[in-house]
Amino acid sequence: MLSVRELTKTFGAPPDRLVAVDRVSLDVNDGEFFTMLGPSGCGKTTTLRMIAGLEQATSGSIMFDGQDYTRVPPQRRNIGMVFQSYALFPHLSVFENVAYGLRPRGVAREEIASRTDEVLRALQLDRYRDRLPATLSGGQQQRVSIARALVYRPSMLLLDEPLANLDAKLRVQMREEIRRIQREFGILSLYVTHDQEEAMAISDRLALFNAGRLVQLGRPRDVYRHPASLFAAEFIGRANLLRAKVLDRAAGAAKVMLPGGGMVAVPRVVALGDAETARVPPDADALLMARPESMKLGPIEGRMPGRILRAQDLGGTNRYIIAAEAALGELTVEAARSAPEYGEGASVGLALNAEECVLFIRPDPR
Amino acid sequence: MTDRRMPGQALPLVLGTCAVVIALLFLVYPIGSATLGAFLRNGKPLAIENLTLANFERFLTSGSYQRAFWHSVVTGAASTIVATALSLPMAYAVARAAMPLRSLVLALSVLPLISPPFIGAYAWVILLGNNGIISNLLRDYVGLGLPSIYGPFGVTVALALSYFPYTFLVLQGAMAAVDTSIEEAATIAGASRWRVLRTVTFPMILPSIAAGMLIVFIKAIGDFGVPAILGGEYQVLPTLIYYQIHGFFNLNAAAAIAMVNVALTVLALGALAWINRTRGVATVTGTARRAARPLPAGLRWSAIAYVWLVLLVANLPQLVVVLYSFSERWGDTLLPSVYGLENYRRVMGELGTVVWNTVVLAGAATILCLAFGAVAAHATARGRIYGRWAVDLIIMVPFVLPGLVIGVAYLTAFNEGPLVLTGTAAILILAYFTRRVAFVFRSASAAITQVDRRLEEASTICGADWAMTMRRVVLPLIAPALLAGGILVFATLIGEISVTVLLYSARWKTITIAIYEYLLGNDIAKASALGTVTIVLTLILVAGASRLAGRNMADMFR
Ligand SMILES: Nc1ncnc2c1ncn2[C@@H]1O[C@H](COP(=O)(O)OP(=O)(O)O)[C@@H](O)[C@H]1O
Ligand SMILES: [Mg+2]
Repeated sequence: MLSVRELTKTFGAPPDRLVAVDRVSLDVNDGEFFTMLGPSGCGKTTTLRMIAGLEQATSGSIMFDGQDYTRVPPQRRNIGMVFQSYALFPHLSVFENVAYGLRPRGVAREEIASRTDEVLRALQLDRYRDRLPATLSGGQQQRVSIARALVYRPSMLLLDEPLANLDAKLRVQMREEIRRIQREFGILSLYVTHDQEEAMAISDRLALFNAGRLVQLGRPRDVYRHPASLFAAEFIGRANLLRAKVLDRAAGAAKVMLPGGGMVAVPRVVALGDAETARVPPDADALLMARPESMKLGPIEGRMPGRILRAQDLGGTNRYIIAAEAALGELTVEAARSAPEYGEGASVGLALNAEECVLFIRPDPR
Repeated sequence: MTDRRMPGQALPLVLGTCAVVIALLFLVYPIGSATLGAFLRNGKPLAIENLTLANFERFLTSGSYQRAFWHSVVTGAASTIVATALSLPMAYAVARAAMPLRSLVLALSVLPLISPPFIGAYAWVILLGNNGIISNLLRDYVGLGLPSIYGPFGVTVALALSYFPYTFLVLQGAMAAVDTSIEEAATIAGASRWRVLRTVTFPMILPSIAAGMLIVFIKAIGDFGVPAILGGEYQVLPTLIYYQIHGFFNLNAAAAIAMVNVALTVLALGALAWINRTRGVATVTGTARRAARPLPAGLRWSAIAYVWLVLLVANLPQLVVVLYSFSERWGDTLLPSVYGLENYRRVMGELGTVVWNTVVLAGAATILCLAFGAVAAHATARGRIYGRWAVDLIIMVPFVLPGLVIGVAYLTAFNEGPLVLTGTAAILILAYFTRRVAFVFRSASAAITQVDRRLEEASTICGADWAMTMRRVVLPLIAPALLAGGILVFATLIGEISVTVLLYSARWKTITIAIYEYLLGNDIAKASALGTVTIVLTLILVAGASRLAGRNMADMFR
């Protein structure tokens, strides 16, 4: 098990000191696929590099299976790492690239060959054994770099945006493959990405980062359904925000009034952090967050009125971009094919499934 | 990437420490020692009461000192002007005239740089000396007497022809980089070709002209071989230093002259740095551009003819030396009347020894340059090095200083005191290293910045220690650059004379010293044979290096 405690990294001297990673703590279990997700520049790579030992932590600790890794040099951590740029050795053949990590481990010559070939086969690379990396496609290079990281049976696998250089279709294909290989090897994996869809699709659990801090940690679906902040709500999936006035509040739940939309009982209430409080407009005291699939379109009577700005056919579903008086910005609603369809410019009534919504309120003034 | 040092990595620390010690001992200390020596009474130890300005006073009182100073300035300036005048039209022609055999032209243009300048100098004696081939022809058939080749005229011509490639390369690069659409705009606005040249092109390359001129000036005022052979009674600062040491062994006086020589160099360098900082405003845009408007055929062919004429004249000295070495009689005719290998037979006895000495000294210095240059380049490119500029300065300063100055610095530093090296091979090897390590450092630095540092990280993550990462990843990737830099060091050391002449000892006579001695003894035939060996050896090596680096020979000197 990997345990990271209060890990901090600062760059530069005081006048323009930058806290790239700010007291991050997390645990990753054996065999788990764990993702660090966040916008670019939020400190994911720096965290990963500290775990790898490529960057020295300013403070905090990194433990693996009860052993303190914080000051262990990278070459003795027994880690596998996959870089965004692949970082394959351009002058070495595929075989030599993959076998690279076996040599410093004093593996006998015959065993180097057999183990390398075994991993090459597992990644369907045996045909390219003697080629130079530059002669391979992006996806193949990526597989070589995974093979190189796995061949010496590391205790964990670190991947820093490994799919960023691939085109969209290959990206989806490769992420499934990475997941398959990870399961096959049963290896604790730490994956970094800024792509929330990718993170949702392959992670057992994910940690959401913002500005150097770990802001939320959990299973993808839990973070999606129960975002702990506006940032989390908006970064993971689409978030529709509606102005709300709180009528009544009891432990963990609230009854709110929506402009032109009547009363709703929301089972989940989250207090906003200081930075996000300003997002609540003056004429409201809370924001109601509804996912696109938690909203329904229907006749106007008795519902919140809205107007269709754009209708997008996504194949399986229809997506509507809607303007509504109650909304902060535009709303996105997804409706099944079977539901009635609306054209652009049409007026519609909006309903929501309050069970699936989250209410963000201003913190109690105290 | 500030924190790269990890516990348990002794080797890089050991190597780094070695590099620092070597740098302090052999790059910093000699120059410091010479600087101090310039302010000490001759032969007196370092002490407050021995400090003096007496060594400099001679520049105010002694006629020979003042003359040497002004001679340096005059021949330096004159050869700079001649070199620029030669290369300006040539650069324009090569950049704009759609030169046939362009890469051959570029390669030929650096030949004068590759063959040691002093070898070219005595070719002028062969051609234009009192009993020279051309002098005799002119006297016998035209009845014309030439001015003596010995003195300012010869020195200026030989220096200009030896160093004009620097101005040419700088200017040619600048002209090729000028955005031709600016010229087109001027043409469309109705300007004639000449007017465009004068009002648009020329102002844009003006900073490059100045920069090229300063390089030639620095080289010319530091050159020893040419004035030593063609100067005669006409002394310049480097020859004055030489005679102070060989005549009187007055190291302190020599150090003072060296300081004056350095001051001139630094002045020019300062100007160069200033121009480099402020230039580039208008010249280069970096985008791919179309060829310039072609010159009309007549103009184009005159340009081509001009370029080949300059190339011929500039390479004539080398040609003459080679020809002379194979001639057994060369009297009043344009070409030798009898060819043969007699000259080579006559130097055979000595040839083996001096070539061997040269190879050993230059080879050892090259290995030192490679080891130190690679470590220093890697450390500055990757490590947490405070004051990267200091490393740059320490390596580049000895590179630009005149060879004689480095020679004096080494004599003052290692003639007595804790570390005595005079008379050994080591002093030559180390002085060579001091003068040339910049070649390797620069090419290794450029190569290392091309290597993605993630490769080194990937290697480390795979479990490799520092040594394995270097051996299996970094070194193989920068090997071609290292090799090219190393060959360049070796090649240019074969023809080194200015440091050698102060530091060599009877046991370690090099090929250049042998040539110099033959010349002093007026045995030009033997000198030519050895000179030819030097030229051919150097040329082969430089051509090999440029192949390795995959660049035109001309680009090795840019
Ligand atoms: N070596 C460094 N020196 C200075 N600042 C750095 C360095 N590495 C990263 N940073 C800064 O730290 C912050 C986090 O960077 P990074 O971890 O790369 O973000 P992410 O991977 O999440 O995009 C960024 O603001 C980045 O500019
Ligand atoms: Mg990153």
